[in-house]
Amino acid sequence: MTSALSVRALTKRYDDGTLALDGLDLEVPTGEFFGLLGPNGAGKTTLINAICNLIRISSGSISVFGLEGSSLEARRMIGLAEQDPNLDRFLTVREALVYHGGYFGMTRARAAARAEEMIEVFDLGAKADTRAPKLSGGQRRRLLLARALLHEPRLVILDEPTAAVDIELRRELWRYIRTLHSEGTTIVLTTHYLEEAEALCEDIALISEGRIVARSTPEGLKERYDAATLEDVYLKAVSTS
Amino acid sequence: MNAPPRAAPEPLVNSGRAFRWLAARECLRVSRLWTQTMLAPVVSSALFIVVFGLSLGSRIREVSGFPYEEFIVGGLIAMAMAQAAYSNNSSSIFQARSDRYINDVLAAPMHPWQMHLGYVAGGAFRAMVIGLVLAAVAIPLTGVPVQSPAVLVLSGVLLCLLFGALGVVVGIYAETFDHHTFINNIVILPLTFVGGVFYSVELLASPWEQLSHANPIFYMVNAVRYGFLGSSDVEIAICLGVTAAFALGALAWSQWLFSTGRRLKP
Repeated sequence: MTSALSVRALTKRYDDGTLALDGLDLEVPTGEFFGLLGPNGAGKTTLINAICNLIRISSGSISVFGLEGSSLEARRMIGLAEQDPNLDRFLTVREALVYHGGYFGMTRARAAARAEEMIEVFDLGAKADTRAPKLSGGQRRRLLLARALLHEPRLVILDEPTAAVDIELRRELWRYIRTLHSEGTTIVLTTHYLEEAEALCEDIALISEGRIVARSTPEGLKERYDAATLEDVYLKAVSTS
Repeated sequence: MNAPPRAAPEPLVNSGRAFRWLAARECLRVSRLWTQTMLAPVVSSALFIVVFGLSLGSRIREVSGFPYEEFIVGGLIAMAMAQAAYSNNSSSIFQARSDRYINDVLAAPMHPWQMHLGYVAGGAFRAMVIGLVLAAVAIPLTGVPVQSPAVLVLSGVLLCLLFGALGVVVGIYAETFDHHTFINNIVILPLTFVGGVFYSVELLASPWEQLSHANPIFYMVNAVRYGFLGSSDVEIAICLGVTAAFALGALAWSQWLFSTGRRLKP
């Protein structure tokens, strides 16, 4: 089976000389719930931005479901919810969803219908005609996720989707993401909440200084590092890398 | 959160549709902010026509053989359109970069030229609406004729492309909102004023007349004026050719930024 995501020898050096990704290799099988953990500055967001065509990579290659990563077909298959809410300040919730669908090639009717579905699923009905700057933090987070899923991507990338949300919403998002995964969507999740990674991910990679330093199931990682919790694994792996 | 999403069976890429949506979004922004984007420039340019044309026009008999109030209409409309196309695109792209919602466009399945022209479309739409409204006000008010509609339309299109693309370039390079206003106030506005909006450069003494010919906006103003009056300070072919050359240069620059991702993508 073709991998959902294949990254080969990916290097990214920013213009100021910072080496964010150092020949990184990564394979995510189709249908997997994959977690990417690492300290701040380890390269998680840079890797995500590279996959989503949001940075210029220095060298290496990316393929998505066997397609060249920067191709239009590959981009159509990726849904991204970024770490910080980046919502169009001039559009209402409904418009933000419909226009996103349009950018991803959907017809007006299809995008509008899908937007209504997402508004209902993410409980945004009361705010459907409100512009993004007037939404609460939790509502923005829901809208980000709804937007990422609107065009029905096969690979969903969630960059710290539950950062700065209350416990109730976090649990709700977990439930939704699990449902999404159970229907065959491949998910790549980055998070600082280790219990979140342990609860959701089948496979976890630890990234440090732009390289994958360990990868296994949560149990496999604990065994390998002789650790009782994923937090201990994290600390050991990052300190020895 | 009570309904599961559906997974797409096959990806269907329609980048032409995506481009139209981006262009529509840019036009929506213009119409949503209409008091800033349309009303303010129309009122200020209409006041220029009334104050300079109708008030001062009674004391200035003719310029290049035309009543003053008719002479200034083309230049004032060109100036308003140029500023609208530039300001719209530079501020729209700067805001999209600043708030990072431009990532929704950069990640979308669109070709770089489609993203580029999608952004240019917003400024072109705004400039065209302002140009049409000002013409609708100025023609009955001053009695200015439209001697060459084809030249008027062509020069309007070239002007929109030139300043729309310039706005895109500045919006991409700008680090702060001041940069966008700096270029407008320090470069575009002075060049427009010395580009023969209010006078014929033939009236200037040497070397100012010759120096005026080094100002690209002089040719744009004269091309639009020719569309109204059928007369310009230099040959209309030269006016259109120079404006087209600068428009192509600006478009090539902004396209290069989208194609390479420079300044747009770290």
